Amino acid sequence: MRFMLLMIPRGYESAAPGTLPDAEGLATMMKYNQSLQRAGVLLALDGLHPPSMGARVSFPGGKPKVTDGPFAEAKEVVGGYWLIQVKSKEEAIEWAKRCPGSDNEVIEVRQVQEFADFPPDVQEAAAGFSELQAQSGQRKGS
Amino acid sequence: MRVMVLVKADKESEAGALPDEKILTEMGQFNEELVKAGVMLAGEGLQPSSRGARVRFDGKKRTVIDGPFTEAKELIAGFWLWQVKSMEEAVEWLKRAPFDRTEVEIRQVFETEDFGPAMTPELREQEERLRVQSEQLSKAAKR
Repeated sequence: MRFMLLMIPRGYESAAPGTLPDAEGLATMMKYNQSLQRAGVLLALDGLHPPSMGARVSFPGGKPKVTDGPFAEAKEVVGGYWLIQVKSKEEAIEWAKRCPGSDNEVIEVRQVQEFADFPPDVQEAAAGFSELQAQSGQRKGS
Repeated sequence: MRVMVLVKADKESEAGALPDEKILTEMGQFNEELVKAGVMLAGEGLQPSSRGARVRFDGKKRTVIDGPFTEAKELIAGFWLWQVKSMEEAVEWLKRAPFDRTEVEIRQVFETEDFGPAMTPELREQEERLRVQSEQLSKAAKR
């Protein structure tokens, strides 16, 4: 089973462009990342620049509308994620608990939809998606 | 540069409603264009938050809260990872997505050099190793 661990750092919604984690925080987090990899559960991970460097697109009536960050109404924003492969939701939660998070942080644990989760008629309509996934490359380098 | 494209949840996705054939076909065509253009790096849908959990950090204390997260104003229902030349290019791609009434957030991904001196040479090397190994595992996981 695959799970997304979404890091939600409180206050990140108002972080200025160019905000960076400090050296100590980074080193501590890298140790945790390493432990995920050693256990053979880490599939992918990334940090996200703050919303002040991002944008939102909404589709009222199906027409795209673009808004630049920051987003005044946002109370929680994603700061980064881990994608892990584990045997159960309980195992995913155990890994989340081991993260060296600080007092202003929450990790949301969400299961990834697998092709086999969908009923047969939906699978048929989505046929070709797994080939698409196989063709796309993760991280072609900066 | 890489961007993460976060698709926000709505009542339907949180209720576990499955996409119909029309939207799947349109989304399939959109995903195919992204792959052909060399933009698509990854894309996944997430199960509703009722099947999820949250872990809250307070000093050494960890509190586990089961979903659904009804008080959360914005939840994530799915995401893409795209490789693009600029935020403008990412926005242009997203405008072409077959969405109706959804809200989608685009965020720039931290690359190794963005971290500055905090990313020491040792950490940089460790990070590269991590990525190579996790990519191999990721390819195996999809089959």
